Amino acid sequence: MQEGRVLPARQINRDLLRSILESPRWFWLAVGIFAIVTFVAWGAAGLMINKGLGLTGLNRPVMWGFFLVNFVFWIGISHAGVMLSAILRLSKAEWRRPATRAAEVLTVFSLMTAVLMPLIHTGRPWRTVYWIYTLPFIPFDFARGVWPNVRSPLVWDPSAIYTYLTSSILFVLVALLPDMAVLRDRTTGIPHRIYTVLAMGWQGHPRQWKLQIIAGVLLSALILPVFVSVHSIVSWDFGMTVAVKSWHSTIFAPYFVVGAVHSGVSAVAFAMIILRWIYGWQDYIRHEHIDALGRLLIVVATGWFYFFVMEILFGFYGREADEIAVRNLQFTEYPWNVWFIIFVAVVYFIPVALWLPKKFRRNLWIMSIACISVNIGMWLERYIIIVPGLTQKQVFTFDWGTYTPSVVETMIVIGTFAQVAMLMLLFARVLPLIPLYDIKEGDILKTQVQIGRRTVPATFRED
Amino acid sequence: MANGHHANGHHEGGHHAGMWVFPQASETTQDVVSKTYTMPKPVVYGLVVSGILLVLGIVGFVIRVGVSGFDAHGPWGYYAATFSFVFMITSTAPLAAVAFRITKSHWRRPVTRISELFGLLGVFNILMFIPLMMVLPPIHNPNAGHHELEVRRTLWFEVPIGAPHWWDMLGIIGLALAALVILWLSMTPDLAEARHTATGFRRSLYGMLAGHWHGTKRQWNYQKAWLAMLGAFYFMLLIFMHFTISTDYAMSLIAGWKDSIFPVLYSLTGFQSSLGLLLIILFILRRWGGYDTYIGISPFWSASKLILAFSLLWCYHMFSFGITYWYGRLEVEQNILKYLLFESYGGMFAANFFFSFVAPFLTLLWNPVRRSDWGPALAGAFALIGAFVFNLRIFVASFNADHVYAHFLADVPAPVFPMLWDVFIVLGGLGLVAFFYLLATRLIPLMCIWEIKEGTMYQKMDTLIRGRYLVLAKPE
Amino acid sequence: MVTNRTPHKWGMVIDLDRCTGCQACVVSCQSENNVPINTKDLFQQRRAYEWIRIERYWEGEFPDVKARFIPILCQHCENAPCEPVCPVFATYHNDEGLNVQIYNRCIGTRYCANNCPYQVRFFNYWEPQWPERLRNQLNPDVTVRSRGIMERCSFCVQRIRRAELTVERQERATLDYETMKKRNFLPACVQACPTNALNFGDQKDPTGPVYEYFKDLNEHEEEERKTRGYRLLEEMATKPNVIYLKKVDQFPVSNGGGHG
Repeated sequence: MQEGRVLPARQINRDLLRSILESPRWFWLAVGIFAIVTFVAWGAAGLMINKGLGLTGLNRPVMWGFFLVNFVFWIGISHAGVMLSAILRLSKAEWRRPATRAAEVLTVFSLMTAVLMPLIHTGRPWRTVYWIYTLPFIPFDFARGVWPNVRSPLVWDPSAIYTYLTSSILFVLVALLPDMAVLRDRTTGIPHRIYTVLAMGWQGHPRQWKLQIIAGVLLSALILPVFVSVHSIVSWDFGMTVAVKSWHSTIFAPYFVVGAVHSGVSAVAFAMIILRWIYGWQDYIRHEHIDALGRLLIVVATGWFYFFVMEILFGFYGREADEIAVRNLQFTEYPWNVWFIIFVAVVYFIPVALWLPKKFRRNLWIMSIACISVNIGMWLERYIIIVPGLTQKQVFTFDWGTYTPSVVETMIVIGTFAQVAMLMLLFARVLPLIPLYDIKEGDILKTQVQIGRRTVPATFRED
Repeated sequence: MANGHHANGHHEGGHHAGMWVFPQASETTQDVVSKTYTMPKPVVYGLVVSGILLVLGIVGFVIRVGVSGFDAHGPWGYYAATFSFVFMITSTAPLAAVAFRITKSHWRRPVTRISELFGLLGVFNILMFIPLMMVLPPIHNPNAGHHELEVRRTLWFEVPIGAPHWWDMLGIIGLALAALVILWLSMTPDLAEARHTATGFRRSLYGMLAGHWHGTKRQWNYQKAWLAMLGAFYFMLLIFMHFTISTDYAMSLIAGWKDSIFPVLYSLTGFQSSLGLLLIILFILRRWGGYDTYIGISPFWSASKLILAFSLLWCYHMFSFGITYWYGRLEVEQNILKYLLFESYGGMFAANFFFSFVAPFLTLLWNPVRRSDWGPALAGAFALIGAFVFNLRIFVASFNADHVYAHFLADVPAPVFPMLWDVFIVLGGLGLVAFFYLLATRLIPLMCIWEIKEGTMYQKMDTLIRGRYLVLAKPE
Repeated sequence: MVTNRTPHKWGMVIDLDRCTGCQACVVSCQSENNVPINTKDLFQQRRAYEWIRIERYWEGEFPDVKARFIPILCQHCENAPCEPVCPVFATYHNDEGLNVQIYNRCIGTRYCANNCPYQVRFFNYWEPQWPERLRNQLNPDVTVRSRGIMERCSFCVQRIRRAELTVERQERATLDYETMKKRNFLPACVQACPTNALNFGDQKDPTGPVYEYFKDLNEHEEEERKTRGYRLLEEMATKPNVIYLKKVDQFPVSNGGGHG
């Protein structure tokens, strides 16, 4: 919060609530388009559930494909929320303020989308629903001896994901309380009643603020282990698989977590640029925020690159024929070699090159390109990890296979992107995507320090 | 927050007392430099004790050479562990200065010099590495049997000549040089100021090192740019060296141990323990060294969060390794788990786990403990012990895993206990670090004076609404 | 539970020296176990069901070339990687050494198939279809699996169960190899094998054909074995209940190995 003007609270309210209190025509058009794509994808999923997984391109030995790639991808995106909100809140980074809400909401929606993926990916989703997916809602059907197998990573998975989903929803709600009260006071009719309920009697008493801050800090600290566990467990879905040599690597958990943060923070940076553009929030999402995200991303990307190199190197370290065969496929055989080069370029070298010069970090177009590029790359990463490992699973060359995704799979994957975009837009219609009170707080903490002839921007530290 | 108070700086702000200190810029140089010239009794005692340990270590080394020579690598396990511990600590410690300078953290200011000073010890890493070069078995199996590998598992893939021995040596030399240059760059402004008041050999030494420094804007810009660049280089080289030392001298010596997370774990142990060591030194300086003018609670508080994070990460990475190996139930992986974690070195692992994770975690879980000087220092001591046990466990185990060229660890070897001279070697390693570090503190100012002074400009207390709070300025 | 029942431990020994790659086992398995017809479409989609399949590898370069056959079926591993990963306990190990699939529990995550190093688990991507004229040949003892679940070789558990039921429970006799063979209780593939390459029996039954091989393999390290027996992917320590016997190559290919 160094460069921008200090705005009067009234104007902050007006600007940031604009997305809720007014809705331009393009808004419904955009939501409509996204909704159509989403429903087409749902239709495709319905058809698939009706006809069987034969409609996908899956086969033997490639039993997992686009759905699981997409699942890991969206779980990855969901890691942005905690990274930005919890970690930056705990480390008191001032530039987090406009980014937190968007990140948390993106977390919730991408998690909700992600959990659909393994569901439709299973052969009998109607059973999966009551057997594996019931975790947060109703107890297991112990009475009928329907026990889940706690040794399976696929049981750890929903436990972690639902814990994460529940806690991130709580996180969002706690942070929303003051803003809901503002909305309550500015709406009439039915919306007013809904906001009244949601604001839970927020009056802005010091005690309420204190509790809200404590809740926020506590949730931040408690959500961190959950955050790490979620993607670790997703990685262990693969890492525990001894039969697939290229998956069975000890580094998978941190490697996946860092990769998730990489794609998630990029996605948030991109979402912020879009929000700034469509709602005209130039005074709130400023170049310096995007700049700071860019700098954070250089660090995250380089950390990711380190893990990536380790993973590759130790793939060769064992000198086992079956593992070398998979690596050979990934690096040298068409089309995987092309995908691989594209992946490494777009996930690390191109974006980091774009983030290094400060001028580029402050150019929204270049930042958008870099952030989209990262996410294309991270999607490809999961594809390159999951599929080649399966196509050449063991030394039995007789059983080596190939995989080509079907139209249905592709449609569903595209649909998930539309679904998240639609949900984000709809959220912006009912609740503010930039926390009002956080911005105001940041403005209050802003100050300056005189050093010689220079005036250096400074902030008050609350601790 | 300059004011007329004398000596012990100035504390302000209710319950934040001692959290931040605002030293008097005009008196810093004189105060810090004069402390360097004294020879207090504890330092003398320390030098004597560590000197004795060092001599013991040399004696142990000589006996070790006499007893086992350089033919087999097995007997050198404890030596390798000592080397690795010394290397881990002394090469990672300068990273604190490097990294937090890049992130522009204000709390780093009293830490930087004590961290960079470890750069002086790099030369001993080079010396200690020479025997290890001689005992490391070659990559190519000299007499390959039927059930053995022609080429042992390694990440050098036979490509560069002299790998891994000479390349590792090159890396260690590179690290030592880089750390020295970083130290020199960082202390030049301080020495330039100190040489005017210094006497005797210090005067000529300071003049030699910093005679060119006039503090022009151009010089400052160069200094900062070079520090940043060298810092980034140092960081990358260090990670790389952690990676090579941990694979060449540990992992590749245990047949079938293929563990991509181990280099990361090694680095983490290094970060955690070296930061812990810095906190211990910081604590001693604050409590008994008369540096409390410069060292508030804030560096302890900030570093403690990092140590807490490192402890959690250590546990996480360890678990990640453990579960992947355990779940697969492959025989080779089971044997390695038994060897390193559960059976042969089970007790060591328990101690390692306790000191690297449980103890620092439980200590630093509490904010009041984190906001003290003793708490983080205590946790740092735990982390340091943890790293020590970690190195003993890993390197002694690796050096004694018998069949280097086997396909995998067929059975679980028994643990190897130290001979008396092994104990001497280990103690000597500790003595070496302490002895030369203590000597260095008498030669070079222990606070980075220019950074402390810079800090006084960026921090002040100010009133916001009804309270007094710290104001931090962040220059772009 | 009947008390006088001896606990069995079933096992199979496959003699690669006898295997001619005739595929009789494949066909018999297909019809015994209600495995859906592998149509051209299914093969092209790489979704064919082959509870037992003959893998064919070429050794040498033309014209000096040999075809090698290896029948691969579920190895019924003692330490099966497919078992712990199933989230719903649809696959587990019973005390007779059989790896059992419970179709009712299966939800089709296909995790087990990923974690099977032998690739012997098959997923029902489509609802199984039989031509009208084959409807009546379906085996009433075997479940017809619906789409969305995994299936794989069961060592013809229906035959084993019938053997135990009739011989051990009803007749109160011991179930030895001769009885199994005479009364058609052996798995379909074993029964159909014209060269007796496939052998099945109780690992604890000294009269059976598999006893000595299992004894040899269980008691000796790789170098000290007296028989030609080995297990597939032994280094994975899955401990299969299927043993392969090495081919005795009288006329080896002159220019060495390689397959393609």
